[in-house]
Amino acid sequence: MDKSILELHDLLKRGKITSEELVKEALRKSHEVEQKYNAFVTICDDAKEIKVTDSLVSGIPFGVKDNYSTKDVLSTGSSNTLKNYVPFYTATVVQKLLDAGAVMVNKTALDEFGMGGTGTTCHTGPVLNPWDKTRMCAGSSAGSACAVASGVYPFALGSDTGDSIRKPAAFCGIVGYKPTYGMLSRYGLFPFASSLDHCGVLTRSVIDAAIVTDIMKGIDKNDMTSWDSSNIHLKEALTGDIKGKKLFYIKEICDITNYPNATAELKSHLKNYFHTLELLKEEGAEVEEVSIDQNLLNAIPSVYVVISCAEATSNMSNLTGIIFGPRSEEKNVFKMMKDHRTIGFSPLIKRRFVIGSYVLQKENQERYFKNAERVRRLIVDKMKELFKEYDALILPVSSGPAKKFDEDKDVIDENTNVLEEHLQIGNFGGFPSITIPNGFVNNLPVGINITGNCYDDENILNIAYTLESKMPYKGQIAKEVQ
Amino acid sequence: MNKFTKEMVDDYAEKLLIGLTDEENKLVLDEFEAIDKSIDLINKIPNIAEIEPMTHALDDFTYELRKDIAEPSIPIEDALRNAGKTDGREIEVPKVVD
Repeated sequence: MDKSILELHDLLKRGKITSEELVKEALRKSHEVEQKYNAFVTICDDAKEIKVTDSLVSGIPFGVKDNYSTKDVLSTGSSNTLKNYVPFYTATVVQKLLDAGAVMVNKTALDEFGMGGTGTTCHTGPVLNPWDKTRMCAGSSAGSACAVASGVYPFALGSDTGDSIRKPAAFCGIVGYKPTYGMLSRYGLFPFASSLDHCGVLTRSVIDAAIVTDIMKGIDKNDMTSWDSSNIHLKEALTGDIKGKKLFYIKEICDITNYPNATAELKSHLKNYFHTLELLKEEGAEVEEVSIDQNLLNAIPSVYVVISCAEATSNMSNLTGIIFGPRSEEKNVFKMMKDHRTIGFSPLIKRRFVIGSYVLQKENQERYFKNAERVRRLIVDKMKELFKEYDALILPVSSGPAKKFDEDKDVIDENTNVLEEHLQIGNFGGFPSITIPNGFVNNLPVGINITGNCYDDENILNIAYTLESKMPYKGQIAKEVQ
Repeated sequence: MNKFTKEMVDDYAEKLLIGLTDEENKLVLDEFEAIDKSIDLINKIPNIAEIEPMTHALDDFTYELRKDIAEPSIPIEDALRNAGKTDGREIEVPKVVD
């Protein structure tokens, strides 16, 4: 299971391995990874092999984040409020993979309903990083990142509202890709913040991300925000030729002099980042520094929290324990709902609901919610202006490798810098965005992110593919260093 | 603008049908303080009020409504199967009005 989709497909077609062997191996590995890293909500022990066809994913096991509906398979969103919920339908993107012959072998743990960036608020407990069990995977797609990095299978589904695919990918040394908003149907994805939510995939190579997304994408009558992408062919677009491409980075985020108290990890991370940019130049791409108003950049985390909390408060008002979820024993209907929500939600999302409710109050809307939406536009407009001149934005992911469990409590504070949160720009504008591994700091993987204009996914993936080919991290499997 | 207070946090939590511990209440206020400082900066952006709020990721998107044609709906048994208590074709809830 440490091989790529193309390698597995070739072996399957030539009869060197069988789908049955792959499924058994993925299940065995799932139990091993569950025991070591606590990555799953459900392991589908009854998963069966599938006939191999010309579809590249046929017969190959994969994982699904537990905030996707899967018919007759427990789908909890990693929340106690849905700990017994078994959907009667399957999310569109999952169904497309099943129709193509892929075999779902587990449901992966996430920060409760995707509302977190640590992988520690899953109702099944924290997901441990497969490179170092004292560190987090980041979130919210923690279980998917952990499983793919551990070699359970070549790909798993994630979802990304702020950076929930792309940051865990970096911390686990793998690839995380969220396409342009609406390329993948969100039907069947538990909604967190609908204007920011994206489906996507975690893999160990750019080509695998392209293969899986080519299968999942397409207009869906059940998601009115999906669009026709039949003229986009991601795998075919991976030519490895990026001569003449122009990329930019943001000075205020990447300049070490902006961090007077920079840790040794941050210094190494940024040094490695600038080294990676040189690899792009060797392939004929240009990389330029661009300056952006620091006030706009500093506003990113708060804009994200205000908008996402407001949308989440509304989206999750249906979690009462009456229509679905474990029902409280209280006799009064309001006490029943309050009991269900008080016991069921983790402290993090309770906090976010209260903030969301506050910013939506009539007297607060202008100052908080509307102004956050206005800054969202200013940031997106600035990016779109830059994308007229440049093919892509390239930035380091986070301030270094995976954080220790006691380092990050998922609380915004004044000292949070934009380096940790800038990937949210990709959600504000619905931009295609991909993280790939670009080296190691203190023996732990770090990542680099490439983001481009809407609908330009082919270009973005080809840049990532070309850069990946210049580095030795494609297909890497996590090796515990601690 | 009123300052967000402990009592207001409890009030909003109550309206959301969520119980908060004192520690959880304090976390709300701590996080909100950071947001508020950032919002102060946002409010200083010249002409901020004249900018059209961006409500969605794709600005160039045209939404098309489907034709109003009735399609089969899900079997009632499926709709009920996750409910805690049911009575025939309905979900059972406690009496709301005394």
